[in-house]
Amino acid sequence: MDAQEVTGSEVVMKIGNNVAQAEIGVNEDNMEKGAISGSAQKCRKIQVRFCGSTPLLWRTAEVRAARESGVVGTLVGSLPRQPRQNNRLGRPLELLQEEARLLTETGRAVLCPAVDPESSEATSSHEVEQHLEMLERSYEEQKALALQDRKSVLMRVLTQKQEDTDSGECSEQAVQDRLEALEKSFSLPRSAMAVQLNTARAGLGHDPEERHFLAADWLQPRDERSEIRFRVFRDLRRQGYYLTSAGKFGGDYLVYPGDPLRFHAHFIALCVSMETMTPLCDLLALSRLGANVKKTILLCSPSDGDGGEEEEEVVYTSLQWSGMV
Amino acid sequence: MSGMPGALGPRRAECFRRLDMADSGQTGKLTDTEFCSELLSPSDLFAARSRSHKIPVRGQKDFLPDGSDQQRERLQRSLDEHWNLIAEERVERLGNLVKAKWIPSKGLVELQSPAGKFWQTMGFSEHGKQVLFPEEALYLMECGNVQVFYHDLPLSIQEGYERFLSKGTVSLHQYQVFAHLKRLGYVVTRFEPRFVYAQQLNLPQPRDRQERNLKRKRSHSPASGETDRQEEQAGDVEDQRPDSGSNVDPAALCSGEDERPVAGGSEETGSAADSAPQRSWWVEQATCPEVRHSRRSGPRWDFSAISFPDLGCRGRPHSLAAPDPSLLPGALSVGSCDVAPWLQKLNLREERVSRRERERERERAWFRRGVNEDREVRRCRNWAEYHCLLERRSRHSRRDRPAHLWEGAVTPLLQPGQYTSPGDLLNRISVIQPSRLLEGASRLGQASEEWRISFNVYQPDTVADFKKSNPGKPYSRMSVCSFEEPVPDLRALKQLSLQSGDVPVTFAVVDHGDISFYSFKDFQLPTDVSH
Repeated sequence: MDAQEVTGSEVVMKIGNNVAQAEIGVNEDNMEKGAISGSAQKCRKIQVRFCGSTPLLWRTAEVRAARESGVVGTLVGSLPRQPRQNNRLGRPLELLQEEARLLTETGRAVLCPAVDPESSEATSSHEVEQHLEMLERSYEEQKALALQDRKSVLMRVLTQKQEDTDSGECSEQAVQDRLEALEKSFSLPRSAMAVQLNTARAGLGHDPEERHFLAADWLQPRDERSEIRFRVFRDLRRQGYYLTSAGKFGGDYLVYPGDPLRFHAHFIALCVSMETMTPLCDLLALSRLGANVKKTILLCSPSDGDGGEEEEEVVYTSLQWSGMV
Repeated sequence: MSGMPGALGPRRAECFRRLDMADSGQTGKLTDTEFCSELLSPSDLFAARSRSHKIPVRGQKDFLPDGSDQQRERLQRSLDEHWNLIAEERVERLGNLVKAKWIPSKGLVELQSPAGKFWQTMGFSEHGKQVLFPEEALYLMECGNVQVFYHDLPLSIQEGYERFLSKGTVSLHQYQVFAHLKRLGYVVTRFEPRFVYAQQLNLPQPRDRQERNLKRKRSHSPASGETDRQEEQAGDVEDQRPDSGSNVDPAALCSGEDERPVAGGSEETGSAADSAPQRSWWVEQATCPEVRHSRRSGPRWDFSAISFPDLGCRGRPHSLAAPDPSLLPGALSVGSCDVAPWLQKLNLREERVSRRERERERERAWFRRGVNEDREVRRCRNWAEYHCLLERRSRHSRRDRPAHLWEGAVTPLLQPGQYTSPGDLLNRISVIQPSRLLEGASRLGQASEEWRISFNVYQPDTVADFKKSNPGKPYSRMSVCSFEEPVPDLRALKQLSLQSGDVPVTFAVVDHGDISFYSFKDFQLPTDVSH
């Protein structure tokens, strides 16, 4: 559990050790109106699900909570509103390994490995019954709603007519008759019933705490490179930057000064260890590319002084192409 | 614990209530999204009929956060819009949904109600059932076309991802590429290398396919009436598994493409009639399949170790030895075989070929003139005379060149009068020969596991005439990789382009949901002959 404070665009995280049982908590919108004074709150943890080794978030509230702690991720699913296009995508949200790790290390999320499809197969007929029952209930309610809808339309049409013709006699009765006839004859075909295709798994699922230790090594094995990437990610995030993946720019991260929804990225971050020798032509190529996309190349190297996590330092070098005229 | 909306109980109700209280000050419709569940109530479902299908446009981005209220407001508005869009759940009319069932043992999704329009480009029939590959089913779930059930409960999209995508079927990366292309309107089918080989080499299609074809022709028996009806409902039904690029079905092989029987058969039998006694045709034949099979994924037999009976040779045996029992199917036992009666029946008459075939034969001969057609060569009675002839000829060609240039160890690359155009000349003296992507690829052996082609891609404008049984030549083939992996080396490139034949291979590079496409193209430097 943690507390969060938001002041302007600067995000400061305090890692507390709140032991309160927070099975169901309140999800407060920190970004709301921008100027909320920091208030500690209980928060249900984000459940990071896995598909293969890729961390995914499925529920809107979780995607939102992640965004509020600065984790942007990438939406990779088809958008329900318009599934056949690629400009705007929908849930699930794919996380970088670093994003998933940061969320878990700050205590905001737990890793939930995918349920082994073979193991948990005992669906009782009871559940099926419940499902069918729910469908039936939904059908009845929708039928009632559809009838009401139709009635109000009819009423509107009839009153309209009345006003037009202006002959008020026995119209009351006529309306009543029409309504009754409608009620008798009305039926909603079953095929017209609306059903929901759930995005996220329904139900509460298992208690995430219980699974946490099982999931200890679900993130990719940590080699030196991923360690460097993570340390850079954490440091930039601490400074309030938003990060997304920069594969297509040949870098590690795109660095945004604010929420990527509203701001352009300013930097292409490249994670290199202090010892790595980089050929000059690589640097030239990078900074030239950066100039072309109007971004600055940022070489990020965690310093080697392994003196405690809090005082960790990352050395940043920015490269910018400057033409001499 | 799979999808069971019914089992939520009082805990959830409480949760809703608490949230309503907490969120009372919030904007928009976000109040009904919380951590536990995103189930819509019947009234939400009803209301969803009239919801908008427009996607909000994203305005111009700002350069720097300046802390102004105006900017903050704009951000808040964008975020609200964003969350509304993301929170939206799929709601479909029950009548528009195709019901299907997930069968984990087969890794397939079986349709339970007649397929929709998607059947033209997706799915195949197996044992009279309409089935979808998991990636197809998942994509259709995401599009709101198919509802997949497992143990009689509908699967959520999440469960679809978690169950359908595995090492055995397709990976998440592959699915992301598949869905990306599908969303753009491309027809995407699984790539199966063996079908391309079969197509390239004009090998007959695998047995089971042919059997299925036969079955289909007979399918008007009462027993299969049920499936027939189903198929008819699905419109113009293509019965086959989308054979990933093999546009040859067995029927087409025999009727349409008659080059193969001619090329293989008539030529050999024709010349065999001339010179049958001296040549051993069987042996030569036997080496052929070896080459073919070694290129396929797993050679079943080592043909170099299997001796075929040589019936064409001079000293014909009158009986053949019993074949190696390990090569025979099942419990079949075959003893030695008396071939004498069969040899008598051997047809040695000249084959009658159609005019068209003869013409084609002549054309072929033009390009590949045998050494025996040279009259002077025919006059040679032995090897010594033939060598003499060659020597004489080469001397003749060297007659007017300055002899001293050819005396040392280093000799000129060109003979005088050898070439007349500068282009040929430049080609001749080029030290490094240009290489094509496909050159030498077949010698590289088995394709590595690391690199493989996943999908055939057909362009969106071909959808109208697309036939699963005869999909034609794909527009491109996709190999899926990620930025974390190395760039394919020349070996991998050659192997993949060999596998793909004359269809270009595109590399779809997946980077955390972002997909970029790259391809490596053959490029021939033009020879500059103007100077």
